[in-house]
Amino acid sequence: MQGLVVGDLRIEALEDESSAVMQLLWKGKSNNRHPGEALAPYFREVLAAAGTRKLPVELHFEKLEHFNSSTITSIIQLIQDSRARQIKLVLVYDQALKWQKLSFDALRVFAKDDLLELRAA
Amino acid sequence: MGNFNFSIDLPVRSEWANVDLLRTSVQNCFTAIFSDIEGCHSLAMVTGELIENAIKYGDWSGADEQRFRLRVWGEGRSAHVSVENPVLRTDDSAQEVMKTLGWMRGFSTPLDAYRAKLLEVAAADRDPGNSKLGLVRIAYEGNCTLSAEITRGVLRVQAEMTV
Repeated sequence: MQGLVVGDLRIEALEDESSAVMQLLWKGKSNNRHPGEALAPYFREVLAAAGTRKLPVELHFEKLEHFNSSTITSIIQLIQDSRARQIKLVLVYDQALKWQKLSFDALRVFAKDDLLELRAA
Repeated sequence: MGNFNFSIDLPVRSEWANVDLLRTSVQNCFTAIFSDIEGCHSLAMVTGELIENAIKYGDWSGADEQRFRLRVWGEGRSAHVSVENPVLRTDDSAQEVMKTLGWMRGFSTPLDAYRAKLLEVAAADRDPGNSKLGLVRIAYEGNCTLSAEITRGVLRVQAEMTV
């Protein structure tokens, strides 16, 4: 799986043939005016690859400095799409960062089954 | 963050690159002064979201100089962020801001409003577009009181936080 660079945001994909999980490490800042234009097609590729290999997907936000509300919208759409495909999605955040704790705690409103896990690191 | 008095008042070009320039400027400026890093990050997030809305939904069709006004100021233990931008009288986006603020007042807490908005975004079409999620985020994550007014074709949105 390839990573993604869009503006100040860099997503590194960590997985190989022996991986039990597909990890996406978010770094930098997601401050694009239309982040969904790059993120939506990328997430489609990620879910297609994860579905083929029957792997869960872990998004790591611990190193992310900032995201705007449009990025939150894209993450919500990923949550919806991964659930529709029955692919487990794990969002890992740094609970020591107040903004991350607030943002991801609120997303627990979508954690209604085992297909979505919000994990405080 | 302790007591403080400060004021920044800037006429800013309506260019997307200025969102992050100003957001990080506010964050760096106040981080240099105050020890509450999280409070500075909140202030910066509020600034960024308000500027994004001004650039996205302002009327930049007729002005010779396409600028919005950003003010950040503090008195005592209150910090304020205000953004003013021109709006078209025929454009619904300014009225949508007023409606969203009224909608938020119908909830017991900013968290309740934010959760409801997240669910609304999830239930929307693929591109919810003008969801006003940013405004609701300001109230919740920034722990801000929001107000807005439209005067002579200018929308002013103001956030107040206790620090």
